[in-house]
Amino acid sequence: MLRYVTVVLALGTFACSGYSGPPLSATDIRITRPLPGTSMSAGYLVLENHGNQQIVVTAIDSPQFARVDMHETIIENDVSRMRGIDELRIDPGESIRFEPGGRHLMLLEPQDSLHTVTLNIYSGETLLLAVSTAPTDP
Amino acid sequence: MRPRSLIIGTLSGLAVAAGIWSAVNFGPAKPDAVRTATVLPVKADVPGFVLETHDGRQVDETVFEGQWDLVFFGFTHCPDVCPLTLKVLQNAKTELEQRGFASLPRIVLVSVDPERDTPERLAAYIRSFGDDNLALTGDVAELRKLADGIGIFFEKRDADGGHYLVDHSSVVLVIDPEGRFHALFSSPHRTENFVHDLPILLDS
Repeated sequence: MLRYVTVVLALGTFACSGYSGPPLSATDIRITRPLPGTSMSAGYLVLENHGNQQIVVTAIDSPQFARVDMHETIIENDVSRMRGIDELRIDPGESIRFEPGGRHLMLLEPQDSLHTVTLNIYSGETLLLAVSTAPTDP
Repeated sequence: MRPRSLIIGTLSGLAVAAGIWSAVNFGPAKPDAVRTATVLPVKADVPGFVLETHDGRQVDETVFEGQWDLVFFGFTHCPDVCPLTLKVLQNAKTELEQRGFASLPRIVLVSVDPERDTPERLAAYIRSFGDDNLALTGDVAELRKLADGIGIFFEKRDADGGHYLVDHSSVVLVIDPEGRFHALFSSPHRTENFVHDLPILLDS
């Protein structure tokens, strides 16, 4: 289900006819509530480039968390290694999926009560998109 | 009632009765062979160690005796693989219980991050994956004794802005009630794999 909520900037033109949103969309957003004993959440979503130019996502932050990191879980030979993602290059028409066991967001140090989580998605200093969702059970 | 309906009704009744008799006498149906688990040719003893439980008890390797255990090495600051794996194990236990298996294995989390995973933190964390679970932590040297002895890898990574990560094996070990390492499940973990294989492993 399409869940993106707020459009902050719409840049470029759209390669896909019939689509009227910003070049970058975020769908299937899921932010987990922190588990007891922890101060972190995981985030999953699908980013899609509807424009005709490559989009480079360099950072994501959230007013509800002190820090948000883009990570990737890599499992090789039954060893799990989590690595940071410095930037995400999304070609025109391409979708990049953050999903359990793969790319994911690590959201650290949440506010005391989480009712809604907003994610601000940046390319450099430019805010590309802001989306909000309610947190779910892990 | 017409004769054909009577026959169908009688046969249906007999089938139901046979099903009930079979379930009562043979228990839940078990598949024949494991599908994804790797069974050790010879069960291996768990090496000696001294660690602390999430409720503050000091334990050694005999903590694995007396019940089947599903053992996973992870840490609470792991946002993705660790909770996903523990959730899979919890879901598998729930499904097996619904299918009538009474002797369910215990879920054991061995923390590879003793610096941050205090017993208090582990207690809150492990209880969110069901009752009767166990979490262990302790000195790195003692964790190494256990991990190295059963082929588990873990390594702390450099800090990134004050938040370090820990690389670790992602397998789930199956330890028998005599405290011997019997089998393992490789990742990625799926609930259905545990639901299929555990009844066979726990019956062996």
